[in-house]
Amino acid sequence: MKKRFTFLLVIAIALLANMSLVSADMHDWWADAAAPYAGATIRGVSESTPPSNYVADVLAAQFTELTGINVEFETTSWDQMYSKAINDMEANTGIYDFVYIEQDIIYSYLAQDYLVNLTQFAADNPDLAYEGYDESAFTSFADYFKNADGDLFGVPMEAFVKVYLYRKDLFEDADIMAAFEEEYGYALAPAENFDQYRDNAMFFTGYGESMDMDLWGTTVQGSTGHPASTYEFLESIGPSFGLYNWGINLDAGSAMSANGGALDGDTAVEALTFWLSMLPYAPPEATSSTWDEVASSFAAGRAAQGWVYGENAAWIATDDSRSAVTGNVGVRLPVTAPGVIEAASMGEGYIGYYDGGAFGVPHSSRNQEATLLWLQFIGQQSVQAEWAAAGARITHTATFDDPLIAEQDAKVDGYYTLLEEQGPLFAGAPPFPFHAQVREVIDPFIQRAILGELSPADALSQAAAAVDEELSRLGYGM
Amino acid sequence: MRNPRTGWLLLSPTLIILLLFGFAPFLYVLFVGFNQWNVFSADDGLVFNGLDNFRRLVFDDDFLHSVGLTARFAIFAIGSEIVLGFVLAQMLTRNFPGKSLFRIIHTLPLMVAPIAVGAIWRLLVIPGFGPVPFFLDRWFDLKYQIGSYPDQALWTSVIMDVWHWTPFVTLTMLAGLSAIPKEPVEQAKVDGASRFQVFWYVTLPFLRPVLLTTVFIRIMDAIRTVDEVWMLAGGGPGTRFTGIYIWRVVFPRTDYGYGSSISLITLYLTIVLCWLLFIAISGRRKGEVA
Repeated sequence: MKKRFTFLLVIAIALLANMSLVSADMHDWWADAAAPYAGATIRGVSESTPPSNYVADVLAAQFTELTGINVEFETTSWDQMYSKAINDMEANTGIYDFVYIEQDIIYSYLAQDYLVNLTQFAADNPDLAYEGYDESAFTSFADYFKNADGDLFGVPMEAFVKVYLYRKDLFEDADIMAAFEEEYGYALAPAENFDQYRDNAMFFTGYGESMDMDLWGTTVQGSTGHPASTYEFLESIGPSFGLYNWGINLDAGSAMSANGGALDGDTAVEALTFWLSMLPYAPPEATSSTWDEVASSFAAGRAAQGWVYGENAAWIATDDSRSAVTGNVGVRLPVTAPGVIEAASMGEGYIGYYDGGAFGVPHSSRNQEATLLWLQFIGQQSVQAEWAAAGARITHTATFDDPLIAEQDAKVDGYYTLLEEQGPLFAGAPPFPFHAQVREVIDPFIQRAILGELSPADALSQAAAAVDEELSRLGYGM
Repeated sequence: MRNPRTGWLLLSPTLIILLLFGFAPFLYVLFVGFNQWNVFSADDGLVFNGLDNFRRLVFDDDFLHSVGLTARFAIFAIGSEIVLGFVLAQMLTRNFPGKSLFRIIHTLPLMVAPIAVGAIWRLLVIPGFGPVPFFLDRWFDLKYQIGSYPDQALWTSVIMDVWHWTPFVTLTMLAGLSAIPKEPVEQAKVDGASRFQVFWYVTLPFLRPVLLTTVFIRIMDAIRTVDEVWMLAGGGPGTRFTGIYIWRVVFPRTDYGYGSSISLITLYLTIVLCWLLFIAISGRRKGEVA
């Protein structure tokens, strides 16, 4: 017995010693590799999101402590982020050493050759290649940031899906369940189809009114002054009805049904009609809501169910200081039309939006070597779990198995499991090199439909014509 | 006698800066305005397209709509500011208890950056969370949602602008009123002129230069309004003014050629408008000397 104890003690001491040696080695590697750049300042810009804020607040400080390289990280609004990054890269001013690349804009950036090929750059600078950083450790989401040769142009820093959230405290309340069943003749449950979604929305809006509560039946990301409304329609609602790739046929260079597109087709009209029909059951702020306000509304307990970006799921479900519905958040797949999930399972479509982004290095950066170290630092496995717990984002396959994530998964009603197992049913934005340009053209029509100035059919018909005109102007049309 | 060269020498830093940062960019915009240039197009270089951009904007419903909205915004905002500013300036020429405090409080909005003004007003009026829609609903059963009703968004922008810029008008009017000699006013009163006649025939003519300058400044500001309104409503329906439309075309759409042509036309419209107003207010006619 004594021998056995001594043996275990020796093993434990050896393991601890080994771990501290490894840790010291790691520390030395970062310090040695960064020595030529110590004191330098690298600057980046990103949207102010939970994952980005974690980078700014936690990872940047850790990296500076290890390397002596300062990181100035500007987190700003989504549209400002794009303007600043594109202006900098286009004018080659070199203000930013790393920029946030949302999945949907990568094709535009690659087409303009704005970004450094990180795989190649690391291969060309073996002294800067950290062995704890492994491109193959990323989930398949990283594929969006690769070129045809498989080279990476951005280190994934967030990846999540837009899910259906609902309030368990309401959906599992016995009195409410009874009232619903009495009114609709079937049991109250998280929606699995659009009729059920509508019933739920109508019921909870009426319930909120009758109880004099600030409660509505659904969220709607329907800002009339922001592209967020177009995004919700094209990337979440449309696909759940079977409208893919924004209804644009890239081969035909058209969005019009007559030319092979689908933006003005029956499926699109049906999807828009449904979505707009949800507005009366959404909180009054819906027509001023972007993704941030939708998350805030849900967290404030103002909606019984809704489509919410997954990056917000963790804090809504767990952060008492910001959310009034902690412990009561249910997570499910978004509702879909018949056949959509089956098609997505066979790779013939997708059910919703797999969002996320990466950090890339512009060619205009004056500190590319120091920035490569920084990107490897945030791309290593060891920093992923806590980041994932804070920001509900997972970019590494191994992070799904981390005990911290397993613990967090239970608090977020299996969101991380859903992301791992059913993530492949979702997809990112289509590979358009003209993403923002065409979306800007569609925005006014969606916004006018929200205001009721255009019917869904007219809005989409006019939007499709405008898209074709813009595609033609950009040189991608028929 | 001073050497004129000394004058030019002293002016040269300012002239160089103006040339570099004022005139040169203008020439560049002028050049780009006659080209098709979108960095995300298949051919991302500049392609000379003559007057195509200008022809396009004549048929651009969004642009024309933005011009109409901007005109409505400018007329209501500036009109209100001039009237309110004049009344407040008249009030401040007299003594009353708390005058100094009122003057300080009244001037405070001028010190706030436009972007902060927009943020403050957004917090006040955002549906669901802001106090204004809350109390309008509770007390008057009024649905106030700037995201749903374009007219409400426009009027909120007007009120916000009036709140921000009336103090500026008050201060300029006050300066103008203080500079009016007392004798003509007293003479008019002795001659039996009514208060309105004193205002119309004595005060207003003396105020005309100040009024003209103030209106010009405010027109130029109103036409290029972006930041306040952007923060308030994101440039949605009801607030998609010309400045915001230009921003959208130039930045998210990266259509630099077309954006430049809209900027040029907007500048042209501003100059023409100011010239027409100058003639209307100053009473200058053909052949007259200012």
